[in-house]
Amino acid sequence: MSSFYSDTGQRSGIAGWMMSVDHKRIGIMYLSALLLFFSIGTSLGVMMRLNLISPGTFMGVHTYNRLFTIHGIIQIFLFIIPGIPVSFGNFFLPLLIGARDVAFPRLNRLSWWLYLAGAFLVLASLFLGGGALDTGWTFYAPYSIKTKTNVSLALFAVFILGFSSILTGVNFVTTIHRLRAPGMKWHRMPLFVWTLYATGWVQILATPVIAISLLLIILERFFGMGFFDPLKGGDPVLFEHMFWIYSHPAVYIMILPAMGIISEVVPVFARKTLFGYRAVAYSALAIAGVGYLVWGHHMFTSGMSDASRVVFSLLTFIVAVPSGIKVFNWVATLYKGSIRVDAPLIFALTFIFLFSIGGLTGLIQGALSANLHLHGTYWIVAHFHYVMFGGMGFSFLTALHYWFPKMFGRMYNERQAKIGWFFLFVGFNMLYFSMFILGVQGMPRRYFDYPPEYFTGHLVSTIGSWILVAGFVIVFRNLIIAIRKGPKAPDNPWGGTTLEWKVPSPPPHENFEEIPVITRGPYHYGNDKK
Amino acid sequence: METTKSRADEPGSGYEGAKLGMWFFLITELLFFGGMFLLYSVYRSKYSQDFHTAALEENLLLGSINTVILITSSFTMALSITAIRKGNKQLSSLLQAGTMLMGGIFLVNKYFEWSAKISHGIYPDSVLLLKRSSGEILFYGLYYVMTGIHALHVIIGIGVIGVMLFFTRREIINRESFVKLENTGLYWHFVDIIWIYLFPLFYLVT
Amino acid sequence: MKPGITNIVSAVDSTFLFITVTSVVLLVLVTFFMLYFVVKYNRKRHPQAEQIEGNLLLEIVWTVIPTVLVLLMFYYGWVNFSYMRNAPDDAMTVKVTGMMWSWQFEYKNGKQSNTLNVPLGKPVNLILSSADVIHSLYIPAFRIKEDAVPGLKTHLWFTPNEIGSYDIFCTEYCGTGHSHMLSKVVVMTGEDFEKWYGTAAPQGAKDRGLNLLQVKGCLGCHTTDGTGKIGPTFKGIFGRKEIVITGGKERDIVADEEYLKKSVLQPEADIVKGYPPIMPVIPVTSGELDDIIEALKGLK
Ligand code: HEA
Ligand code: HEA
Ligand code: CUA
Ligand SMILES: [Cu+2]
Repeated sequence: MSSFYSDTGQRSGIAGWMMSVDHKRIGIMYLSALLLFFSIGTSLGVMMRLNLISPGTFMGVHTYNRLFTIHGIIQIFLFIIPGIPVSFGNFFLPLLIGARDVAFPRLNRLSWWLYLAGAFLVLASLFLGGGALDTGWTFYAPYSIKTKTNVSLALFAVFILGFSSILTGVNFVTTIHRLRAPGMKWHRMPLFVWTLYATGWVQILATPVIAISLLLIILERFFGMGFFDPLKGGDPVLFEHMFWIYSHPAVYIMILPAMGIISEVVPVFARKTLFGYRAVAYSALAIAGVGYLVWGHHMFTSGMSDASRVVFSLLTFIVAVPSGIKVFNWVATLYKGSIRVDAPLIFALTFIFLFSIGGLTGLIQGALSANLHLHGTYWIVAHFHYVMFGGMGFSFLTALHYWFPKMFGRMYNERQAKIGWFFLFVGFNMLYFSMFILGVQGMPRRYFDYPPEYFTGHLVSTIGSWILVAGFVIVFRNLIIAIRKGPKAPDNPWGGTTLEWKVPSPPPHENFEEIPVITRGPYHYGNDKK
Repeated sequence: METTKSRADEPGSGYEGAKLGMWFFLITELLFFGGMFLLYSVYRSKYSQDFHTAALEENLLLGSINTVILITSSFTMALSITAIRKGNKQLSSLLQAGTMLMGGIFLVNKYFEWSAKISHGIYPDSVLLLKRSSGEILFYGLYYVMTGIHALHVIIGIGVIGVMLFFTRREIINRESFVKLENTGLYWHFVDIIWIYLFPLFYLVT
Repeated sequence: MKPGITNIVSAVDSTFLFITVTSVVLLVLVTFFMLYFVVKYNRKRHPQAEQIEGNLLLEIVWTVIPTVLVLLMFYYGWVNFSYMRNAPDDAMTVKVTGMMWSWQFEYKNGKQSNTLNVPLGKPVNLILSSADVIHSLYIPAFRIKEDAVPGLKTHLWFTPNEIGSYDIFCTEYCGTGHSHMLSKVVVMTGEDFEKWYGTAAPQGAKDRGLNLLQVKGCLGCHTTDGTGKIGPTFKGIFGRKEIVITGGKERDIVADEEYLKKSVLQPEADIVKGYPPIMPVIPVTSGELDDIIEALKGLK
């Protein structure tokens, strides 16, 4: 049977891709775009690190301020938020629930176009008008209203990206409600599907709030209504609230699908059903639910009333518990398994380790008194790189290595993948762990220049970034070679039990010749019990 | 478009799926306006006296007329769906055109309201407005933004109904397949409901 | 971390240590079991997995214990926080204004300064606000931080216990000069402080002007020694010929009194070629402006 690569439908060439409504083609296109923006964004990160070992030598303060802003915007809005749902979600959601496509294939294509348009506008904003914006990715008013850089276009671009994200959320939630194969009850869904479901709801419920907040900033800049301008009676802190009402739930948009992938991979390599399926599934919903109520923990020093700070801190601690439940269940899944340590499992276990560090440091800064010291320092920078890069980033790499044979029909070199992992692991911890120490010492973030006592920490960190780059070069070189020359992959190289492994690699255009009928849970290994 | 035979019989793009998707979308719209309502309620409670005085200046008559017009248009929209379900293409087209017309009248009234204010020198950042109290500045800021974004939704709605009218004429929408028209109706009712909240907030808070 | 520089330090550090130690223990446990299982149940040693679907008791245990732990963490953080937020009544009040990109401290008797001078052992209550965008006052050695928000009054307090001079940073991004919006808090003995506090403001227009350049934060961006910084140097500025950009067009000017005054009051009107248009409007009275011009005349 021919794969979805050769089955082009009515159009061929570029149009066969751009006009395609096949979820797998859309997934592959998203994946390529994500990797492109990831390379651009991280390259900016490496340039920032270069400045920080010798401020002023390589760039001026204006350049630096714009670099970290664009680094943040690209990583957040073009890479990590669309991230796993649009790439692996698109490709695998229908396969995992036994469907031929998502509920609204053409809407899916529209999301993809909107994403491209948004990305294009972000890049255009760097060169038009007042040039690249310099507000930080948080766009705090009144600075974002006062600066002469091109904030309006960039915010408009983010607005469009938000629209794309909303449509993807609507599409996935409807798909999961309507298109599950016969017999796939809610408790027979693979966990990646559960997390996509929770994520979809967060996208639907949180994204509109940032859309309107950003629109208000644009309108402020053009018409000056004064909503966030104290001279006209407005309140700048209100913008912070509106921003974080979205942007805190957004961190769960980033991490939930990542957790879903870990829940898929651990059972397969332990040859064992997932420990505590229901606990893991419901904790995803709990994270999504409670995650709405904790945004104020970004504002412990903002001038908000002390009583609200106390409430937000309490809720912040509560939201950490379901993440803990997931970690414990993953570890318990390994118990009495029959474990093979292949590249995907190594990346998955690295996720657990790095995410735990990131999450636990989240607890430290979530405590009110400690936050007054740590807020706005490199401690926070370290925290979010651990959860975002160590968490979502490593989960992305897990998925890439786990599903690579299915997506491309080829195998990569296992040894190279492990060597790459080693460099990534060492480089990552050098780069970001030193930031925790810098933070405790009081090094503020978004600083172009700093007093000399912080030099050593920055030096170690920058050297780490080079090792990390080496790791990425090895990993991606390995995968790119595999796409071109790798040996053909079998349909089910890891012995997985979920539906995507029952179709050929790469899957045919129609996914399933016949829609399967589901009679048992997703991770059924072995002979005993149901 | 490249829909293959086997995909056509999928349930997702069918009636139930399309309705469900539309409801999810309306939730996001509601939250979008929710952000503005949040802003309104914060400033309203901070400057309730100023909001009170400012609202006195609103043109209650025009506002009430517009409310009646929008409610009526929601009604004709609903009737057009009933008509197409009975297979009455002619009547349905007429009712859709009527809905569009009423949307248009709504916008014309809005235009007169806005231009009257602007000619009195009351618009965001205007010299006259900046002389007033903080609460009034914010009240008018909210007034222009919220009714403006609502008007934008009315314009989009009119455009979409226009497309539906075209589909009805071409019988792409017919008595078997009318979910597109139904979803448009949902959208139009939503726009209507938002206005029903805006009306008291800006015209009746006196 | 040197403890005890202020009374606040131990309130922060004890919370920090408690949560960090708990977290490290949890992390070590999770990592240990993960690695131990991977080795022990490796496929070579353990070819057949045992299918275990879950265990309700375990689920309850690892929900309840972390919940108790996080509630403890919260409580600890909260108690110390309330202490940090409630200044004693006898504290000395200092008004702090953040502006792009300097700090200004104003004392009860009207004395202004761009460093925060405080007497040893006496509680100090800072009331913060901002003249333009959001800033945040941060003294790492004291473990305190709070945003300075335009249109809002926020507060911080501490009692310094050791003589010395400590860094003040701005930790809310506020534009170009954010990383140079630095100052110092100087803790001195009560006598030294009284001496400083009691000295009258500088006499003579020129000296007053020089002081104002300090206090208003002008020297954050302009130097007096001829080197370039964010803005053009003050050295020899009076009567200097410059090319400026006015409304997009270049023109030649001589920096006379009128031009200099306009540059302070409407910084965006004329921009010296080669510099970014970023100078904020800093509030000055006309008397202060005259003093500043006198001082600039003197900077040859
Ligand atoms: C993927 C993204 C992601 C994720 C998942 C998280 C998860 C968490 N974050 Fe983080 N956070 C960010 C991204 C993320 N964060 C970003 C981007 C910022 C900065 C934005 C900016 O200012 O630019 C930020 C900032 C931030 C702040 C504000 C800091 C400040 O500016 O002052 C706080 C404060 O409470 C916080 C807390 C937490 C907590 C408690 C969690 C929890 O959900 C973590 C839960 C996980 C664990 C706890 C670890 C695993 C559990 C165990 C090993 C078992 C033991 C557990 C217990 C005892 C409960 N985060
Ligand atoms: C997913 C999110 C993400 C990721 C992955 C990264 C990755 C990196 N970031 Fe981060 N960062 C953010 C999100 C992220 N960042 C955000 C949101 C902010 C806040 C911005 C703000 O304050 O507004 C921030 C801020 C931030 C700062 C703080 C700036 C400041 O406050 O002054 C620093 C400083 O060192 C930094 C550095 C880095 C570095 C060195 C990397 C490294 O990981 C980069 C390592 C290098 C690579 C990974 C390159 C590999 C790729 C290639 C070589 C190409 C490979 C080829 C192919 C794909 C074909 N970042
Ligand atoms: Cu002031 Cu940063
Ligand atoms: Cu958060």
